[in-house]
Amino acid sequence: MKIRNIFLGIVSLLMAASCTNLDEKLYDKVSSSDYGKTPSEIETIVGRAYASLRGFSDEISNAFPTCEFVLFLSETTSDEACIPTRGADWYDEGRYQEAQFHTWSPQNLLVLSAWRYSYTGINKINLIIDQVNKSELSDDEKAVVNAELRGVRAYYYYMLLDLYGNVPITTSVSNTEGISNSPRSEVYAFVESELLEILDLLPAEKLYGRFTQNVANTLLARLYINSEVYIGQARWDDCIEACDRVKGYQLEPNYFTNFLTENENSQENIWVIPYDSKEGTVGNFFASLSFHYKQKQAFSATSNYTDCVNGICLQPGVYSAFDDTDIRKQGFLEGDQISLATGSVILMDNGTPLTYTEAIIDYTAASQNEGVRIKKYEVKEGETWERDHDFVLMRYAEILMMKAECYMRMGAPVMARQMVVQIRDRANVETPADIDLEFIDQEWLREFTLEGLRRSVNIRMGDWFKPWWNKDATPEYRALFPIPQYELDLNSNLVQNPGY
Amino acid sequence: MNKGNFKNIARTIQAAFLLIGFMVLTNGAWSQQTFNAKGTVVDQQNNPLPGATVVVEGTTKGVITDIDGNFEINCSKGNTLLISFIGYKNQQIIVQSEQLGSIVLTEDFVTLNEAVVVGVGYGTMRKSDLTGAIASVDSDELKQGVVSSTEQLLQGRVAGLTVIQGTGDPASGASLRLRGGTSLSASNGPLVVVDGIPGVDFNAIHPSEIVSIDVLKDASAAAIYGSRGANGVIIVTTNRANKGKSMQYQGYVAVGTVSNHIDMLSANQWRAWVRENEVTSAIDYGGNTDWQKELEQTSISQSHVLTFNSSTETSGYRVSVNYLNNQGIIKNTQLERLGASLSAFQYGFDNKLKVEAGINTNFDKWNPYDGRIFERMLNLSPTIPVYNPDGSFTRIGGTKYDNPVELHTNRFADNTRHRLLAYTKAELEIIEGLKAVANASYEYNSQQSRLYKPSYAVMEGISDKGFGQRTLGDYTTMQLETYLTYNKQLTDNHRINLLGGYSYLDNTYEGFGAMRRGFDSDLFLYNNLGAGQDYRAGDVYSYKGQAKLISFFARANYNYMGRYMFTATVRRDGSSRFGANNKWGVFPSASVAWRISDESFMAGTSAWLDNLKLRAGYGVTGNQDGIGEYKSLSLLGAGSDTYYDAVTQSWKQSYGPIQNPNPNLRWETTAQANIGLDFSLIGRINGTVELYNKNTYDLLYTYRVSSADYAFPTIMANVGSLNNKGIELTLNGNLMNTNNFNWDANITLAKNMQKVTQLSDEQFQTDDVPSGSLHGIDGMSGQFSQIIAEGYPVGTFWGPLCTGIDSLGKFMMADDGALQDIGNVQPKLSYGFGTSLSYKNFDLDVSMYGMYGQKVLNATAMILHNPARLPSLNVTDSFLESGITDKVTYSSYWVEDASFLRLQTLTLAYNIDGKKFGLGKVRLYVTGENLFVLTNYTGTDPEVSIEGLDNPGFDWFNVYPKPRTFSFGANISF
Repeated sequence: MKIRNIFLGIVSLLMAASCTNLDEKLYDKVSSSDYGKTPSEIETIVGRAYASLRGFSDEISNAFPTCEFVLFLSETTSDEACIPTRGADWYDEGRYQEAQFHTWSPQNLLVLSAWRYSYTGINKINLIIDQVNKSELSDDEKAVVNAELRGVRAYYYYMLLDLYGNVPITTSVSNTEGISNSPRSEVYAFVESELLEILDLLPAEKLYGRFTQNVANTLLARLYINSEVYIGQARWDDCIEACDRVKGYQLEPNYFTNFLTENENSQENIWVIPYDSKEGTVGNFFASLSFHYKQKQAFSATSNYTDCVNGICLQPGVYSAFDDTDIRKQGFLEGDQISLATGSVILMDNGTPLTYTEAIIDYTAASQNEGVRIKKYEVKEGETWERDHDFVLMRYAEILMMKAECYMRMGAPVMARQMVVQIRDRANVETPADIDLEFIDQEWLREFTLEGLRRSVNIRMGDWFKPWWNKDATPEYRALFPIPQYELDLNSNLVQNPGY
Repeated sequence: MNKGNFKNIARTIQAAFLLIGFMVLTNGAWSQQTFNAKGTVVDQQNNPLPGATVVVEGTTKGVITDIDGNFEINCSKGNTLLISFIGYKNQQIIVQSEQLGSIVLTEDFVTLNEAVVVGVGYGTMRKSDLTGAIASVDSDELKQGVVSSTEQLLQGRVAGLTVIQGTGDPASGASLRLRGGTSLSASNGPLVVVDGIPGVDFNAIHPSEIVSIDVLKDASAAAIYGSRGANGVIIVTTNRANKGKSMQYQGYVAVGTVSNHIDMLSANQWRAWVRENEVTSAIDYGGNTDWQKELEQTSISQSHVLTFNSSTETSGYRVSVNYLNNQGIIKNTQLERLGASLSAFQYGFDNKLKVEAGINTNFDKWNPYDGRIFERMLNLSPTIPVYNPDGSFTRIGGTKYDNPVELHTNRFADNTRHRLLAYTKAELEIIEGLKAVANASYEYNSQQSRLYKPSYAVMEGISDKGFGQRTLGDYTTMQLETYLTYNKQLTDNHRINLLGGYSYLDNTYEGFGAMRRGFDSDLFLYNNLGAGQDYRAGDVYSYKGQAKLISFFARANYNYMGRYMFTATVRRDGSSRFGANNKWGVFPSASVAWRISDESFMAGTSAWLDNLKLRAGYGVTGNQDGIGEYKSLSLLGAGSDTYYDAVTQSWKQSYGPIQNPNPNLRWETTAQANIGLDFSLIGRINGTVELYNKNTYDLLYTYRVSSADYAFPTIMANVGSLNNKGIELTLNGNLMNTNNFNWDANITLAKNMQKVTQLSDEQFQTDDVPSGSLHGIDGMSGQFSQIIAEGYPVGTFWGPLCTGIDSLGKFMMADDGALQDIGNVQPKLSYGFGTSLSYKNFDLDVSMYGMYGQKVLNATAMILHNPARLPSLNVTDSFLESGITDKVTYSSYWVEDASFLRLQTLTLAYNIDGKKFGLGKVRLYVTGENLFVLTNYTGTDPEVSIEGLDNPGFDWFNVYPKPRTFSFGANISF
């Protein structure tokens, strides 16, 4: 009987001992309520806001600011770049053809990508601001930390304002009910007021990669120069004033210093997204999407260079818009590509030479070698798919060009020329004595090719609506992209932009 | 036990006895003297039958045969001995002398089947008493020949259980799916219970250790496992120590070759094409290479198992050691396994307490291959030689032109895995019929990977200047289950069986990994990662997580005269994975059975209908696999998101939220109704028909949410519902049975129809979910091939309907290329067929299985039929015949009917009585596996994995070819 009792005792003990607690024990993660109390913890959370600028990739879309598809949206719809269809390659549900022809639908993945890039950043920052507000910092300290966060958020809203216009504004952590759009004018006002409110709280000094006063002023200048487009009210003076508040930068003597792999020493770059693939950054692979599959033989005698996939190139006419002496022209690949191993022209799979041509005879059925390729950022033997150069978002040349355009529009072409000549001198090209707005437009193209600014310039100058290579006239409503269908399907309170 | 049948037998025997009794009486003169008669009871194959009952007719004198089937009984000349053994026809002999010799019992097909003891979870029942849908397979029906994954044992054996071996990789397992699967995102694999321990890795058990497998198919049977029972439960019983002494060796050697190739152009065909088409730019590298053959080999595999057992009534042990070397048909791939199992038992406390303990362990070694070789072996031109004249590998450069032989050869990849399953079980009989059981178990799986790509190796080796990686992952499950059972015959007609218990499970996983690049010397391989100079963020990582499951369960059985049976179960499960608002779930079930053939109104059919039993059940089960740990919480994690700190000018790790939390997360619930009919006819055929209808609701899916509203693109939620209904038929027949010849056959047939019935609710809405991504195929980035939509089964191919190829070689699409339903991956019918014949000492076993009506996307063919490939990339012969000039386009053209019938195994065996060599029973056999596949599918093999939502039913370069194998084996008892 004794053993029996002991046995039963053990059984009932075991049953009682461990039957209630079902809380999950955390090991390699922390609960959001337990973290972010101290300044050093806060720093790691704020760091995530800057990390968000590199975008992401998931099964729904890539959302990388350097290429697929955030940059591609503004570039392939502008007059400087294109992605021709080469056989089945780069057809991809016609998304690039729609961009070229200005016939994009709300289903276009490029349209979705930039939207998701911006809002994912915004909602992450909203969560981070919430964590900061729950921390033990003083109110003043919180305001300073939040100023930078609000600045990065304003940058995302600026992108939305520019691309989609009428977008929802959210500053809270969750909107399970579905948030509705605000008119473009309200988004404009929100971006401006946010930037003005935080301006004095932001770091006044140069801090690499951070949202400083200089960055805020450059963004304000962008807002003002496009003001006529955004709200129908020109603010050229305000733009010049904002430009004048940008301090401590100068043109680099060598244009390409800004695009070196180690471009952190540039005195011209105002704001960059830092990349270093050894530190785990991903999404920085624009050049590999441009070069031909066999281009690696031209970069390395042992073909020690990442695979390339032969996509984006210049629209015909862009390459020839540069004088031959223009050093900026060296940022492109045209003509025969020479194998370092053999010293002769590389042969493509079909046995014909790899010779890039400016002309693209049939955009929808292009040959592999058609189109001028882009190698503005430094290329080195042994490079991998993920690059290490920092991606330039803002540089001092843009300040000069914005001022030049404003002076020109305000009827001061001499003042404008003083700005432009600095840029052209550096590029080793003469500046005509008389320049006009058309010239400024072309200088925007030459100075900032593939830097993501071209679409805004096209719209501001009105060329956007006129026919160009492989594009008919564009209706007014297509100055804005549609709200992505994907988002409309998930949020019934969203309203599509007019015309779509 | 079939009573009606027994009555008949009893009547016959009675009559015989009367006659014999009469004869004895009339010949009374020589019936007085008693002596000890000796004999041996054997089956038709001359195997001893231990435990058979031998009774002297008309007396209470009886004995039981020993382990060798021998008995000795005190009787007189002329007495009649009645020999009976469960599952065999009774036999009687008249005693003529002291030496009775061998007494052969023949199998009683019907009662054998009904008497089978079936695992039902926390206990066993006779098949005749079951109320739920449970299918049983015992060891001699299990697959023979080369078995590297235990799942394969069940291929084609259980109606409604689909076993898909999607690859010939010796290190990879098969997937199991019962009655169509119940989940979109979670595992659809059944819960595996080994010797009472739920959730065990099937492959922790060596196939030769398995005695029987019972599959709990419907919810009334599986509900005792509550939130883990929705996909059915597989109960595995392994060999344990049993009475007697024995030793056995089982072994085989097998030779395998690739069963099927993709017919690519040979170098000469390629050259002919270039000549005929006057292609001037084509580059002929001068070689003559069959890239598929370059990677393949004839495999030679071997397996050895040695088992010994030594036990008495009250204590004993059993030990088994095994070794397997299963070579793959791709060079350098193999699975090497060393395993052992030990079990022991001891009775104590007046035989009221039984203590058991056991340990099962195995150690695996294998060499993972680089899956990219399969695409490249079809890409490279047949004119490219494998090696340069100096012996180095040829490299012609270009994306996806990497030499697959180099890619496969210039790497060092060695993985190992340890599995350990240990348990201790105590059973105490408190009063008669009342038993307390405690079962504590510990399962530990540990896997290590080691990889080195030397600095001279193509692809990452060169670009990383040497790449080394090590990982370790541990997975530990501790379980304690305690329960009471009470078994009582209340009166002659009423029997009850009660069960109540508690279970606690703790599952912990943890691991870490490290990698480095930039090795100045390749000599260290993966053994000295510190020698790498190039350190990157994310090169070192570790993780840990834990889940708990706490349960209470109960079952009641009631049986009236073996004619009416009733079962009810309930389980209450609490899981740490569930959201704060839904911590506990209750899973009830009830079922009844009625033995119609025992009713008096059925008396007229008893001549041909031995058994007819109707069963009906309903139950609720759950699936909590899909939730994973920590999904309901608001968490911050340190991930790959680093940031540049301008102040310190260094990169730092950032912390941030990692998911949209959902505190409402709960298990997926499946309610299933089942009606079954068991029947036995003319003493030779028995069968089962099952009809079921199961509705799964609260289906887990990661819903896409608006990026303007949420920081993360998806949130996991319980929203949708799914219906599976179907019918299953199992037939076993004994077609012929004479003293020398026996012929059995069995058939399983299953039809399942699946439909997604709901995907949206008020909060989470989706019309259809794209699945089956085509991303990665030229020009198809972001494109999908399938949808999940209300009214369609999971894995529905959704694309344009191709009506043919026009005279210009372009695809013609119906309805202007409108997307539509172009078939789905679910089979319309799955079936298995087995037969075994024995004649004297020979026996022959054949087993086949197949599926009908399922579709496979032959993405390999779609990619290879690309006019842009030639001359630089190779194409198939069929491409040239097809005349296709159009670009690669997804359509019904590539969605092929993959119906097939596979001759899985054919075994011819010869049984020898080894006594003259001083041995016991000896069995020699030869087995052919995968001898043929009947199919119209044009790819290498129609059996393609349908797991997951990424590429279910895809044949896309990633398919390790399947072998055709011949093995020669011997089983020897000592």
